[in-house]
Amino acid sequence: MTAVQAAPARSRSGARGVWLLLALAVLAAVAVLSLAVGAHTIAPAGVLRAVFEPTGSSDDLVVRDIRAPRALLAAAAGAALGVAGVLVQVLSRNPLAEPGILGVSTGAGFAITIGSALGATTAATGQLVLAVVGSVLAMALVYAVGHRSPLRLVLAGVALSSVLSGVSLGLRLLLPEVFDEYRFWVVGSLAGREQAPTLLPLLAIAAALLGALLLSRQLNAVALGEAVAHTLGVNVAGVRAGALVLITVLAGAATAVAGPILFVGLIVPHLARRVAGGSVPWLVAFAAVLGPVLLLVSDMGARVLLPVGEVPVAIVTAFLGGPVLIWAVRRYGAAPL
Amino acid sequence: MSAVVLRRGPVSFRVERRTLVFTAAAVLVILGLGLLGLCYGAVWASPAKVFAALSGSSGGSSVVIRDWRLPRVLSGVVFGAALGVAGAIFQGITRNPLGSPDVIGLDSGAYTGALIALTVASGTSAQLTTGSVLGGVATATAVYLLSRKGGLSGLRLVVIGIAVNAMLTAVNSWIVLRAELEVAIAAGSWSAGSLNGVGWDDLAIPFAVLAVLLVLLALRSQATHQSGLGGEVAVTTGVGLERLRLHLVLIGVGCTATVTAVAGPIAFVALAAPQIGRRLAGAPGVPLLPAALTGAALLQGGDLLAQALLAPVALPVGVVSTAIGGCYLIWLLTKEVRRT
Amino acid sequence: MPIPRITGIASALVLTIGLAAGCGSGDAEPGAGAGDTRVFAADNGQITIPVAPKRVVATGYAVPALLEADAPLVGISSWQRGLPMMTAEDRAKYDELNKVAGESAAETNYEAIAQAEPDLIVIGVPKPVLADIDLKRLEAVAPVVAIGPSLPSAWRDLSRKQADAAGALATFDANRDAYQAKTKELATKYASVLPGLKLAHLGAYGEVANGNFQREFNGSWGTNIAQDLGANYYGQVKVKGGGSKDVSEYPSIEELPAAFAEADAITYSVAADGSVPKPVQYVLDSPLWKELPAVKAGKVFALRYTEAATYRSAMTTADAIDRAFAPLLAP
Repeated sequence: MTAVQAAPARSRSGARGVWLLLALAVLAAVAVLSLAVGAHTIAPAGVLRAVFEPTGSSDDLVVRDIRAPRALLAAAAGAALGVAGVLVQVLSRNPLAEPGILGVSTGAGFAITIGSALGATTAATGQLVLAVVGSVLAMALVYAVGHRSPLRLVLAGVALSSVLSGVSLGLRLLLPEVFDEYRFWVVGSLAGREQAPTLLPLLAIAAALLGALLLSRQLNAVALGEAVAHTLGVNVAGVRAGALVLITVLAGAATAVAGPILFVGLIVPHLARRVAGGSVPWLVAFAAVLGPVLLLVSDMGARVLLPVGEVPVAIVTAFLGGPVLIWAVRRYGAAPL
Repeated sequence: MSAVVLRRGPVSFRVERRTLVFTAAAVLVILGLGLLGLCYGAVWASPAKVFAALSGSSGGSSVVIRDWRLPRVLSGVVFGAALGVAGAIFQGITRNPLGSPDVIGLDSGAYTGALIALTVASGTSAQLTTGSVLGGVATATAVYLLSRKGGLSGLRLVVIGIAVNAMLTAVNSWIVLRAELEVAIAAGSWSAGSLNGVGWDDLAIPFAVLAVLLVLLALRSQATHQSGLGGEVAVTTGVGLERLRLHLVLIGVGCTATVTAVAGPIAFVALAAPQIGRRLAGAPGVPLLPAALTGAALLQGGDLLAQALLAPVALPVGVVSTAIGGCYLIWLLTKEVRRT
Repeated sequence: MPIPRITGIASALVLTIGLAAGCGSGDAEPGAGAGDTRVFAADNGQITIPVAPKRVVATGYAVPALLEADAPLVGISSWQRGLPMMTAEDRAKYDELNKVAGESAAETNYEAIAQAEPDLIVIGVPKPVLADIDLKRLEAVAPVVAIGPSLPSAWRDLSRKQADAAGALATFDANRDAYQAKTKELATKYASVLPGLKLAHLGAYGEVANGNFQREFNGSWGTNIAQDLGANYYGQVKVKGGGSKDVSEYPSIEELPAAFAEADAITYSVAADGSVPKPVQYVLDSPLWKELPAVKAGKVFALRYTEAATYRSAMTTADAIDRAFAPLLAP
């Protein structure tokens, strides 16, 4: 269907380029704004001073040590979740699929719960490692069970998520202290992560984003059908396995730094498809820009929505994303990929 | 049981017979689990003692067996069947194994209603029940109205349901985060769904409602099976597809909300029972009877396990049903992978 | 073997149902007639209970209160969060007693409670949680008295009510007097330094989310026992939320400098073994914490056992506070 659109492709890719530049400009604006917004009011002049001539005052500390790392995390997690969502949807050809549905986020959250129960997660590094290992195991299991068909992949993911959340629930009821901790692992948040060691997951996200761009051409061929891919000389099994590794790393690292933020991986690909059409390379590029925008805006909302304290960002993304998804489905329908 | 049945599976003309075998076996399993449920408790009662109590003897243990254990066992079987049927209806209409009430937000909506009753109002049982029924019905109405545009598309309903579910789950998490620790722990256990403490006076109205719904469903089951063949076939055979779907959705919502009102959101029975039942019975589509039987066995078995696992602490059955149902579904999928 | 026991439950059940019916129709007055029942005011209404119960089942907050009061317990719910503050003797009793419910109210095992054959059931869960319990079924076993927590500092009255219902006031009052004597003595000891200090408390109880911290004011978990020693925690919550939310709040870490700027000294909650809980450690590691005047002046004190909700465990807390505040008295 997409293969026959050769003639208008050039002008279309020009329009896409303009849209992508526009999206990048919005991302830059939102990133700057996120330094100025928060529970503690700082005047724009104060923000500028903190960025360019820091004196070590508490305002400077808030901007440089709390808000800046937080904006970076939001951008990285948003890009990771958005791109992982694109890969999952292309791979499973299911517009409903997302890393959360495939059990990756639940796997990460479960690993952290078990870690808490065994007392192994006092260190933030431990939690990161647990989250990544959990998501890799969950993905491996789901892939082993369901790799034969896209629908079965989703079904296996939902089944695994349910098993793990059932066991977590049991643990939470048995050990209320663990339950108390887990309450915050079921709702993703970008707050309070500035002290955690995030260099490793950030590097992993950057590498995986690059990998997704490199793999996106072959994925485009696979998306056209296995027969087409074979005639184009693409190693279908290899591309699928590569995409699965990328999904695991992206979603696992994002969950490790921010906890499960389920909606970004579902909503960003749907939005990206409105501008990018069916081209996987463009989908990946747009998701990598729109994901951070969505998460940064949501996170600013999370900081100011309440007179005291903050809302976890996952709650805001669900609120922003839910209506947008409903609108998108009603407007365009949920056509299979 | 399943092994014997499966070996006969590939032979196509035996499918009908296999369904019969499955039905008989499932009824036996449910009866067995029910009897076990009546025997098991803080003190084990022999089957003889149970039968004596059921036949009306006024012996000492009769009160516990008749008024405490029997309503719990019956609610396990009936609620399980109702959840299985609701799941089969929604999965059939949406043509998606993920299109079950718990995925498209009915459970979350009912839970939101109950949470509001717990935290805003004073949280009496009557308020909890009203809150969860209102929440479930409001959610279903919202999802249905949002997906009704130029005909009801199954896939659209699932996507919109998932969106609504995500929003409601966010609201629920937020209410729990805002709540006092004590209330949060109570709400956390409610979210698992439990048959603990269910008595006769909790069951009279729900059973009546479920009976009416299931009779209505049985009256429409012929048309339902035709619509299961696909929209085109159903239209040409003269089934009013749109009206049939509306009726079925109402029945499914009624089943889910009634069960949630009494027992809380028991996750995964509605999702897993139709799929497990379909595979065991070897029937095409998402048939209702196997879903009901499997749901009943799943919930009753799960409740027994929930009582026994950490006795005397009574675990919520939702924890166990989720774990058992999920494991079984994964096992079935692996099995199919090996066969093909 | 099982059969005689089950007959036992049922006969007890039939007996209590008969009793309850008798009370209902006869409208028994306290102290009159048989003289062994009285009317007791609880969260769930005016309840007719035995004057001197012999077999008591306790759940929730009533578990530590009645353990310490030497009430005639025959069954309790699990109560993990109170374990570190129990004396060895109470802990032994706790381990030995029959468990009839889990940590949460929904995990109540009705048959196990009936099997314990209680003549009184004391439920120590918050009022909204009562909806999770089938009170009617429990009332068929024995009179049910629900006395749940409200304000964090209200444990003094609530545990006394629980002990009163269980007919165990003698031991309870002895415990209370010992606590009051100790805190009075400590208050005198610190009279020259504590009342003049503007204190602030960094807590670790409840919903401390990532990036937030818990600030506790007068009357909260971490502060109410220190107040008995003469401590005074300044300020109040921005938005009153009822119950514990009237005396504690959870602001964003960005507000740490503003919140603690005026404090002369800061106390913070640590676990029973002295380890620093995760939400507190997060604040202690923040660059904003290191800029606070009280921190720069070295006036920071770690408090153990801040979750105490009974007099005997509060003795442990008072001792811990005494040890923590000792540097204040050093010249």
